[in-house]
Amino acid sequence: MPKSAEFLPGTLDMLILKTLTLGPNHGYGIAQHIRRTSQDALKIGEGSLYPALQRLLINEWAIADWRSSDTGRRVRMYRITASGKKQLKQEVESFDGLLAGIARVMDAV
Amino acid sequence: MRIWNRLRSLVDRRPFEHDLSEEMTAHREMIEREFIEQGMSPENAKFAASRGFGNTTTFMESSREQWQFAWLDTLTRDIRFALRRLVQQPALTITAALTIALGIGANTAIVSVLKTVLLNPLGLKDTDRINVATVRLEKLNMRKASTSEVEFRELQSMSDVFSTVAASEGKSWTMDGGSEPVRVVGRAATADFFRVFDEKPFAGRFFAADERSTVVLSHKFWRSQFGGDLTAVGRSIILDGQLHKIIGIAGPGFQFPADSQIWTSLFFPPERLQRGRNMTLNLLVRLKDGVSPAFAAERVNRYVAAMKSENPNSGYFVDLTPFAEFIAGDLRRPLLLLWAAALVVLLTGCANIATLLLSRTAGRKREMAIRISLGATRVQILRQLLIESLCLGLVGGVGGILLASAAVSVVHQLAIPGKAALSLVALDRDLILYGVALALGSGLVFGLAPAIQLLRHSQTTAMARGRRHRLQDVFVAAEVAAALVLLITTGLLLRSLWAVGQVDPGFDAKSLTTAYLIKPRNDPSFIQRLDSRLRATAGVQSAALAYPVPFSGGGLTSSFTIQNRQRQAGEPEWHGEAYFVSPGYFQTMRIGLLRGRTFTNADSGAAPLVCVIDTKLAERFFPDQNPLGQRIAMYRGWAQIIGVAPTVRGASLEQDSRPVIYYAIEQVPLFPQAAIILRTQSPATALIREAVRDTNGATPIFDMRSMEDRIRESQGIRRLLAGLVSVFAAICLILAGIGLNGVVSQIVGERVPEIGVRMALGAAPRQILIQFLTQGLLAGGVGIAIGLAISFYARKSLAGLLFNVETFDAIAFWLAPAAVTLILIVSVWFPARRASRVQPSSVLRYE
Repeated sequence: MPKSAEFLPGTLDMLILKTLTLGPNHGYGIAQHIRRTSQDALKIGEGSLYPALQRLLINEWAIADWRSSDTGRRVRMYRITASGKKQLKQEVESFDGLLAGIARVMDAV
Repeated sequence: MRIWNRLRSLVDRRPFEHDLSEEMTAHREMIEREFIEQGMSPENAKFAASRGFGNTTTFMESSREQWQFAWLDTLTRDIRFALRRLVQQPALTITAALTIALGIGANTAIVSVLKTVLLNPLGLKDTDRINVATVRLEKLNMRKASTSEVEFRELQSMSDVFSTVAASEGKSWTMDGGSEPVRVVGRAATADFFRVFDEKPFAGRFFAADERSTVVLSHKFWRSQFGGDLTAVGRSIILDGQLHKIIGIAGPGFQFPADSQIWTSLFFPPERLQRGRNMTLNLLVRLKDGVSPAFAAERVNRYVAAMKSENPNSGYFVDLTPFAEFIAGDLRRPLLLLWAAALVVLLTGCANIATLLLSRTAGRKREMAIRISLGATRVQILRQLLIESLCLGLVGGVGGILLASAAVSVVHQLAIPGKAALSLVALDRDLILYGVALALGSGLVFGLAPAIQLLRHSQTTAMARGRRHRLQDVFVAAEVAAALVLLITTGLLLRSLWAVGQVDPGFDAKSLTTAYLIKPRNDPSFIQRLDSRLRATAGVQSAALAYPVPFSGGGLTSSFTIQNRQRQAGEPEWHGEAYFVSPGYFQTMRIGLLRGRTFTNADSGAAPLVCVIDTKLAERFFPDQNPLGQRIAMYRGWAQIIGVAPTVRGASLEQDSRPVIYYAIEQVPLFPQAAIILRTQSPATALIREAVRDTNGATPIFDMRSMEDRIRESQGIRRLLAGLVSVFAAICLILAGIGLNGVVSQIVGERVPEIGVRMALGAAPRQILIQFLTQGLLAGGVGIAIGLAISFYARKSLAGLLFNVETFDAIAFWLAPAAVTLILIVSVWFPARRASRVQPSSVLRYE
């Protein structure tokens, strides 16, 4: 059973938005992409993925529409919006700050 | 946009859920395929995928939460908490809810009557362009009188201001055809009658011009008599022996007059239009588009002025009254007063609950302190407190609406003559909304003061306590003032009721039983036989037949002429009321004749026409001469005056009567109805039924009641008004008493230690008692002063509702404050006495 990784709050949104900058994708694809690129370090459970996707939709950071996939199945494709890109930039900045802060604490003698 | 997204998901979450579930299914299938590619069997892959995917419902739930409003959640939590608190203190909740329910119930019920009678008369739409024309004859003391053919003809010719003019007259018929003859009431109406209301028929058509013997059924009558069978249109019914063709059925919403079952076509033969002066017509006019009511009135006045240019003192007027006002009639003022009184009761209730809640703030101080220290903001606490009082208000509101619906069914049963409109009162959606709005408003009113107080209270203690008491004093004073105003109003109304009861109707109403009947056709000797049969019945002291009976709407208004006497030029025709009576009438009613003789059996159809007049007619028209032997013509030609009777009240104890002419019923048998009047010691209903059946079996009897009941019902509105206002006043008085009692009890409770110390230092119990009595009565005293001032300044607005009572009636203005003071002393007495009985030793131990 894939265990969902412990995320810092807000980072999941950032990861999804980042994934979407590579092109439109569906829920499964997003989860796969994050798992593969993190080399199985980050496994997103559907229980966090779908609420997160809804959150993106409400805030209009992403839009979704139904398309036919290569196999002919109807899938819901998510695409990042302009405000989503802006949000991603902000999140990356604050995340970098957070990481730097953590690093400083951990590195302190 | 974001809010819009959320709102959309609130209103309709189906597309949202559908998307999500399809999306998840797709996702699961992709995992499944991945497993298969890794070499699993399809069954195993499916199983593993669904296990790996987890609980779809939970995911849906948590996804859905992203969409919903956080405040909605808080609100439900607050409401749940508020309800729990209300359940925890049942005594407070029940008292408060009952108080609010009474106030809202009374308000909603009264407004529902107001709506049917005043705002939206009889449920008809767009009546604001409709006016009713009435005649006013100042010299004969006639106001709002029905019109005659002359006014109909004149107003019809004023096509520059009126688009439609319709006349109708009240009628009742005997309908044959079923097993028993049935009495049917309705109106005969001219062709434009339905057009005035802009009504469309439910089936068939309405009247065409100059139509005769056609009938339109009311929707209700059609349902009850024809069971809703549409083939009724085109069939015929027999009314008073004449065939009438059913041409249409009125819509279910059309009820004018409220008790009308059918409408027949009213046709004026040319000779009636020429000669007619019978004032029996109700005249409805619809103002032409763009014509203001004032302009139309001006136009009518010009006609009236032309009529009396030769004689300016004739006192003849034609008035236009808005339809709504005409329907409301004398109900208007009582209803507005009742509404005001019910609002006062509601506000008093709110003030009372506010004092109750204020006295609880001490107990909630701790709770608030804990919540604030745990991080609750002031806004959160204020919201919580307001939601509590709004819930309380709503609980009361639901109770109030239930009470109002009970009250409406009571209103339906009120049999007040001429007030059939009351049967159409209904509690509709608007009124329920009104009740709910009142409930929320009340919750806000009584919740705000304690809530704000409580928040301040958490900051300071001693100072806030003082302020809290001052606030409670204000509420108590307001309650006392309200109670006093209503009590003085009650006093004035009761005094008027008493004064009306003192009016002598001019006859002895005790032990009289009356009943109307419809004379059988083809039985000319019926009246005579019934009269003899009744007189011969054992147990009957005296018996008479008459049409109509006093206190069933008054005599028949008609014009008359006097032989060898000319009206002055331009003077309107002379009008009087006619009664048609049997020889035993004056004896049975115990009306002693002043001059001449009464009718005898010799005054039969063949004998010369004779009549008896009353003193009012004698004094007005024969001031300096003996009226006996003079001739007067109202019905059937010249009639010789054979007697003069004293004036009798015919329609109401309050109105001065008009000139009256009595005819022998045998000599003028024009009317299909007659009434029995019996003077008996024992109940007479069985006697009447038996005598009528013996005389002619096919005779419908209706409207059987004692004369005293008739007189009482004629005061129906006045009695109802006095009764309801006194109930309202009593409620306010009780609330004020409870409020004051609560405040003083609380002050005493808080100051027990202080009292104990003072007693230990030698204060006498008497001193303590007097101190608390005066302190409590001070607030009450201020309330009494305010109440007296309001009553004094507002008393003029009551003038129209009083009868023979000054608006500044000494008895009401002394007795009411005295009664209020008494109640206040009683309610302060007990807590004050408890204070005076504090044992110093117990307090010392407690400390």
